[in-house]
Amino acid sequence: MLTRSWSRLTLAGKVVLPLVAVLGGLTALLMLGVVLGIVQPITAFLVETLSLNGGLVRFVVAALAVLLFAIPTAFIIGFLELKVIAFMNLRLGPNRVGPWGALSAAFHGFKILAKEDFTPTGADVPVFTLAPVIVFLAPVLGFLVLPFAPGLFGQDMNLAVLYFFAMSGLGVVGLIMAGWSSFNKYSLLGALRAAAQIISYEIPLTLSVVGVIMLAGTLSLNGIVLQQAGSFLDWFAFRQPLGFVIFFIAATAEGNRTPFDLSEADSEIVAGYATEYSGMRFGFFYFAEYVNVFLLSALTVVLFLGGWLAPFDLGGVLHQIGVAFDPRLDPGSLGIGLLIGLLVVPLLIIIGLAVPFWLAKPGLAFWKALIIGFLLFNVLAAGAVLLWAVASFEVVQGLLWFMAKTYAFVVILVWMRATLPRVRIDQLMGFAWKWLIPAALLNLFVTALAVVVVDAVTR
Amino acid sequence: MNLIPGVGIIKGMALTLLRMFQAKATVQYPEVVQDISPRHRGRLQLLYDEYGALKCETCFQCAQACPIECIDMGGVDTKDRFHVHWGPAEQYGERREESALRRSGRPVPDRTSEPFATLDTAALDRILAAEDHDPRRMLTILERTQEAYGYLPVAALKHISHGTGAWYAEIYGTASFYGHLRLEPATGHVFAVCRCPACTFRGAGRAVAALEAALSTTMGASSPEGAVRLVPAECHGASPGRALVTLDGEVRHDIAPEALARQAIQLRAAHGPEGRA
Amino acid sequence: MTADPRTRVRSLDDPQLFVETPATIYDAVPPYPPSTEREAEFYTLRDGEMLINLGPQHPSTHGVLRVVLKIDGERVVDLDPVLGYLHRGVEKICENSDWHMVVSHCDPLEYIAAMFSELVPVMAAEQLLDVTVPRRAEYIRVLACELNRIASHALFIGWLALDLGGLTPILYGFIERDEIVEMLAALTGQRLLFNYMRIGGVNGDLNHEFMSRLGDWMGHAARHVNDSQTLINENEIFVKRTRGLGRIDRETALRMCLTGPPLRATGVPYDVRRAHPYGVYPELEFEIPVREEGDSYARYMLHLDEIRQSIHIIDQVLHQMPDGPVTAKLPRLLRPRPGRAFAAIESPRGQYAVYAMSDGSDQPFRLRIHDPSYFNLQSVGLLTPGHLIADTMAIMASLDPIMGGVDK
Repeated sequence: MLTRSWSRLTLAGKVVLPLVAVLGGLTALLMLGVVLGIVQPITAFLVETLSLNGGLVRFVVAALAVLLFAIPTAFIIGFLELKVIAFMNLRLGPNRVGPWGALSAAFHGFKILAKEDFTPTGADVPVFTLAPVIVFLAPVLGFLVLPFAPGLFGQDMNLAVLYFFAMSGLGVVGLIMAGWSSFNKYSLLGALRAAAQIISYEIPLTLSVVGVIMLAGTLSLNGIVLQQAGSFLDWFAFRQPLGFVIFFIAATAEGNRTPFDLSEADSEIVAGYATEYSGMRFGFFYFAEYVNVFLLSALTVVLFLGGWLAPFDLGGVLHQIGVAFDPRLDPGSLGIGLLIGLLVVPLLIIIGLAVPFWLAKPGLAFWKALIIGFLLFNVLAAGAVLLWAVASFEVVQGLLWFMAKTYAFVVILVWMRATLPRVRIDQLMGFAWKWLIPAALLNLFVTALAVVVVDAVTR
Repeated sequence: MNLIPGVGIIKGMALTLLRMFQAKATVQYPEVVQDISPRHRGRLQLLYDEYGALKCETCFQCAQACPIECIDMGGVDTKDRFHVHWGPAEQYGERREESALRRSGRPVPDRTSEPFATLDTAALDRILAAEDHDPRRMLTILERTQEAYGYLPVAALKHISHGTGAWYAEIYGTASFYGHLRLEPATGHVFAVCRCPACTFRGAGRAVAALEAALSTTMGASSPEGAVRLVPAECHGASPGRALVTLDGEVRHDIAPEALARQAIQLRAAHGPEGRA
Repeated sequence: MTADPRTRVRSLDDPQLFVETPATIYDAVPPYPPSTEREAEFYTLRDGEMLINLGPQHPSTHGVLRVVLKIDGERVVDLDPVLGYLHRGVEKICENSDWHMVVSHCDPLEYIAAMFSELVPVMAAEQLLDVTVPRRAEYIRVLACELNRIASHALFIGWLALDLGGLTPILYGFIERDEIVEMLAALTGQRLLFNYMRIGGVNGDLNHEFMSRLGDWMGHAARHVNDSQTLINENEIFVKRTRGLGRIDRETALRMCLTGPPLRATGVPYDVRRAHPYGVYPELEFEIPVREEGDSYARYMLHLDEIRQSIHIIDQVLHQMPDGPVTAKLPRLLRPRPGRAFAAIESPRGQYAVYAMSDGSDQPFRLRIHDPSYFNLQSVGLLTPGHLIADTMAIMASLDPIMGGVDK
């Protein structure tokens, strides 16, 4: 019977199922080891001998973490884009591939991997190949300085803002390389439009942030977030409203998002700089765009909306209504009871969750009900762990707020894409040079004046 | 126009936000099937009226009116004198597959020119009842019909069509797809040789080689003049120490290759001057 | 390029192939010397100019239209549309088919608004046969045509917005169009190519399904198009991109033989339903919407006005519909009298006309089709030079060409 089930699996199933089994076994072993006190000396020994705490290893781990974060983010934002635009268009969007179609963007990514990867005749091959890499590199490098939570950032540079804008400039180089090396007039047009656009909008972008820098007194992003601590009204969005608006508009243009997406305007110049790309190279552009969307939203949030700061103090509110929550757990005190608890309690909960389904739905095999119970148990356990983590670790709280605010802005960017048409290149440039830059300068002067005056008055 | 620039954009965005939470216009197809209007022209099928009779009168008007001449019809006239491109409506399904061949100029066996003999449908009714008139068990029905009648007569296929509700064209398609189903009566003699490992050890391979050479054919086909056929058989492991070779259903005891070849040549010669039996 | 066109050279796409006229990789100039003055003018490039091909496969040309643009940076200096990619030889096929079969051949000419392209040859045949169409059939024809006009305009709004980058209005337009098209499917049996008009009337009478769907729809007629208005009319970006763009004045419009909304947007109140009335339009009250500015924005607003007028017409038709037969009695084999007939109607794109010549046999001798998109598209070459590449799309979309009609 087992062999028959095995032969009915697809290739993916044959890979995933043993992997899951192996991982489950390893996890169980690890937990056992933790409980019995074996793991701790082993890890200490490894860290000492292999100097795993050394700089190079930490760097590799950090780089890996950043990359591994960027790719699922791109998938999630791709999925949001498909679903949100669909909902605004009064249609359903993808809803077959995963629960509510959640895996559809991931499958788009895999599909792109499977496509033929060619270089067009006459293309400049090294430049053609490197361009997507550079375009992908720019936003990913920007993740390095982003403070996701108190203490959770790649590097707390005191020049973070400057580094950030330098990295966005790097993206332009990649776009121009892509357009020029494709040997295609459409790509060339797209690349030049992109270059003109991004360079023009760098200026209002940076100028609008200077006001924030003046108020915060530091270029470090972590420092800027800490300067917004206090109450909800201390956020720079309320102290620099014009800067906020200018920054958001300029960020939309920097990310090549509608209404400023003329470098990849697919009703005019097919796909702009990415016309001749296919396969994973196009995948890089595709991912880079979504990672850039996340990055720009994150930057807006960090600079103007308090980063990982909560708008209201949840602990204080709960305290007011009399709910005290002391999340400090001491699992070691349970001793062997912990092991029994770990083995018995989940089974009981799974069975307890499975029985209602088995009773309610006639004809449901008991093992299927067990699986449903198991999935629900996972959801409950994840929820419980999350709540505990939120309550006991500041990091998790901060991270959740940061993600929530960032994704709110991501949804706003997608919303703009669904609704607005595109501007023309001359209108775009006119808008940047004739409206945004004077507005940013005005903002700058007013802020500087206000800082000086307030300083003089309070001295 | 608005005095404050940007208000139009905000209004537009407010509208899409509102739409995001409203009922969607998508119809989720396999779960929800929308009704097709009764006048829908997209289904290429002949319609039946409420008594089960075909509505098509074969008046040929559709074929004449078609601007791209893609409709073809054929059959026999009512006195069975000649073939024409019109005929009783039940034959329409049968004709459609052959129309492409007809246009190529190649001669097509015109099965409808044989008046179809009346069939004793008792056996067929029993088979259909046993299979619960289920069109999904078509292959079983056809195999049992062939066992009962020796081949699949046209009348039997029509009876099955009436009984199961499957289209005649579909049944015809199934019947012509499988090699072991015959639409014509089996003619001539049949040499059947089992090729299971036990029989092969006992000389079936040499028997097959000899027969193939004598009949100038291959396993599964008949000799060029159609007198003798060579088909595989199944002994189901019941062979008594010698390979199973049957001639017209009777088990042969002498399976020496020379003896088989001699008999095969004799049978061919016997049928030769008479033409096809 | 002075290479002898008869020599065979290696193709640049596949080095194993030898071709006569290789696609040169440096510019789109053909390898033979220019044969007309226009070609000479177009294919000589000055300093900094570039020829770019908005090829037949492009997301925004409305069908398969190839446009060769001569651009100087982003600015379009000259424009050369190349037609014929959708040519199906419809006029020739009609010459070899029955008068009845002409309807199904002419159907896909203006495929978005198929009722109109079927109606015109039918009217020409009726003139040649001196057939009186029953009044009920005439009213049904008007009803079907006006519904189709609304569906076509809903789609026009959609793809005007799509060409400018807005993704949403076209989907709202399709929801609207889906309702109407399902209605017409209940009436005719098909959703896009209806094959409904017959010589002497229409194919079938109204049925309950059609009437109930029509009743439902009239309750909220064109509400999704109203949504598109909120998204488009006041949107600053949209207005800035279409206002003042592709402005035509009256004299140029009349000289270029524009018809339909592009003409009425310049201030000329010419509508075939009032100028050369046909069917029962003389008995129906409706206005001809006219705008003065003549730019893309005016053409867009004019389409919206026309939708409202069509709804008004449908309302009147439903109130005034008489009883009676829906087809005239005609012999199966039609042999019109030898002669010529000209029939013109107002389709969503302009004046759609057919000039039919009959020699007394059962096949038309000649069926010349005057499709409005063909004439309207000519003005693209006049309007675009001087604007940017992005404006080419806006102008072409606002002229609403359908390549099926342009190429026939």
